[in-house]
Amino acid sequence: METLNHILNGFAVALQPINLWYTLVGCFLGTVVGVLPGIGPAASIALLIPVTYGMNPASALIMLAGIYYGAKYGGSTTAILIRTPGETSSVMTCIEGYAMALKGRAGAALAVSAIGSFIAGTIGVIGLTLFAVPLASMAIEFGPAEFFTLMLFAMTAVASLTGSSLPKGLFSMFLGLMLGTVGIDLQSAYPRYTMGVIELQEGISFVVVAVGLFAVAEVLQGLEMLVRGTAPDVIRISGKLLLTREEWRRSIGPIWRGGVLGFVIGVIPGAGSTIASILSYNMEKSLSKHPEEFGEGAIEGVAGPEAANNSDTAGALVPLLTLGLPGGAVTAVMMGAFIMYGIQPGPQLFKDHPEVVWGLINSMYVGNIMLLILNLPLIGLFVRLLYIPRAMLYPLIVAIAAIGIYSVNGSVVDLYMLLFFGVAGYLFSKADIPITPLVLSLVLGDLLEQSFRQAMTLSDGALGIFFGSRITVILISLTALSLLWPLFASRIKALRG
Amino acid sequence: MANQITFCFAVVFASVYLYATGQFAPMHLSDPLGPQAFPRLLGIGLLLTAVGLLVEVLRARKSRIAAAEGKTSGEGRYYAVVVGATIWTALYFAAFEWLGYAISTSIYLLAMMSYFRRGKWTSNGLTSVFYSFGSYLIFTRLLLVSLPAGLLPF
Repeated sequence: METLNHILNGFAVALQPINLWYTLVGCFLGTVVGVLPGIGPAASIALLIPVTYGMNPASALIMLAGIYYGAKYGGSTTAILIRTPGETSSVMTCIEGYAMALKGRAGAALAVSAIGSFIAGTIGVIGLTLFAVPLASMAIEFGPAEFFTLMLFAMTAVASLTGSSLPKGLFSMFLGLMLGTVGIDLQSAYPRYTMGVIELQEGISFVVVAVGLFAVAEVLQGLEMLVRGTAPDVIRISGKLLLTREEWRRSIGPIWRGGVLGFVIGVIPGAGSTIASILSYNMEKSLSKHPEEFGEGAIEGVAGPEAANNSDTAGALVPLLTLGLPGGAVTAVMMGAFIMYGIQPGPQLFKDHPEVVWGLINSMYVGNIMLLILNLPLIGLFVRLLYIPRAMLYPLIVAIAAIGIYSVNGSVVDLYMLLFFGVAGYLFSKADIPITPLVLSLVLGDLLEQSFRQAMTLSDGALGIFFGSRITVILISLTALSLLWPLFASRIKALRG
Repeated sequence: MANQITFCFAVVFASVYLYATGQFAPMHLSDPLGPQAFPRLLGIGLLLTAVGLLVEVLRARKSRIAAAEGKTSGEGRYYAVVVGATIWTALYFAAFEWLGYAISTSIYLLAMMSYFRRGKWTSNGLTSVFYSFGSYLIFTRLLLVSLPAGLLPF
């Protein structure tokens, strides 16, 4: 009954005019960054955090979440019209959506993408509403050892599943954790690795790291593509933005299946929406009566992956809100935002800040409706963004990043660090090293160390505490499995030939 | 080549990190482990990861010939542009407070757009100036975000 009251109260928060406005702003910005190359949702959210300092936390988080799920809608537009995924999760839409566009059915591809995203996004939010409280209640019993093993599992899973090699993922993870140790130690007040630089005493700002790695690095890659002359052409929208009866009949099943699959995958740390959309695509291909149409513009290949990609967003918020555990780059930045507003995501969140968490969740129902409107009748407006010359766009992104970063502390040192991490992100992409484990570890590093030290204090230094309960044993086993998974996967692949 | 550099970087970085951790003064007041225990684990973890990277380097040696065949000439030109853009961005940040946001951003944008979008002098110039001064006024006057005025009197 108490939960029901909180949910209803959450609707009252979400439907306040000011929060409706911020939902709209977030969804609009999300669609824009989804369409535009060079700046994704992680960088956009990181950039906007300083601007939202003075805002009510519920309103700020509603807007930032709008950017997160709005970008998923926008990402499909570029996938369909220029065969470039605005977000990596739209990679499968590139295949079928672009093939549909070449056949003169770009309108139908965009329509099924928007409608599928709306239905699946709503399925995801219903799942989030249903599962959040039971999971949070379970996690409330967690002690430091359980939290340590849980975070360890999340980080190793992300390191293992993102990128092409486990050592590179782990390399990125350890660098993130090491960066997290810079600054004054929270328990002993001892300054670590500050090298006498006063600005480093408070640690390395995750906003600087996130914007550098996601936005500036993307700009450097974009500039390289520009001089290489590999920027793609835009296909004009053709055909009605409506589905025929046959297209609708073929799409509805994939949308539902993709919606459920995406939500489940979203809950698993590290799996992410790209894996959700690839799995959905393969599932639809295997279920289809016309698998030969895949690759030639099969509408199921747009409907399923786009649905999975969108419901994954709500799924990813389940561990973030209930356990304080981000499973990917955007949720890691979202967690940083929560902490900056003085709110600790985790089991206590639903008790301590029900108006914030339920306002945020319920705003997503409204946001999905807004996005449907933005992405169907107004799609032509967003497509215009694709015609902005990239040679203008990239320098502007650097200037926007400079405003966002400088406004935090008014320090040029932060700008130099921004450039440093931008170059690091560019080099990471050249070396095929994933950056998500680094950002995730940087955000979780402090909590991981505190949990470790608290657990060790409780056990008088005995490591057995990490094997002392059923939960820790399961989580340690999952950690080991995630580390061994690439080995198993390559063996299975080799056996299959 | 990238794998070898990553491996070397991991070894050097982990070694320096562990050395710096070893320089911490011992503290056992409130916490039996002290501030150095967790970083030590991280340093060791990175060294173990370096072993994994070394295995990848050795495996990659086998396919080195194939990779060398796939390389195209003239790659350096593209990277030179990225290095140039990075240096120009560093200069932009160096002048950020001295010249002020609006002036430094105008110059930065104009130079970048002039290089990457040649021949469109009017639109490049107008975009650079209007964006820089427009965003300066919006952020400082409307959103009350603090940005350096520099040489500007306002």
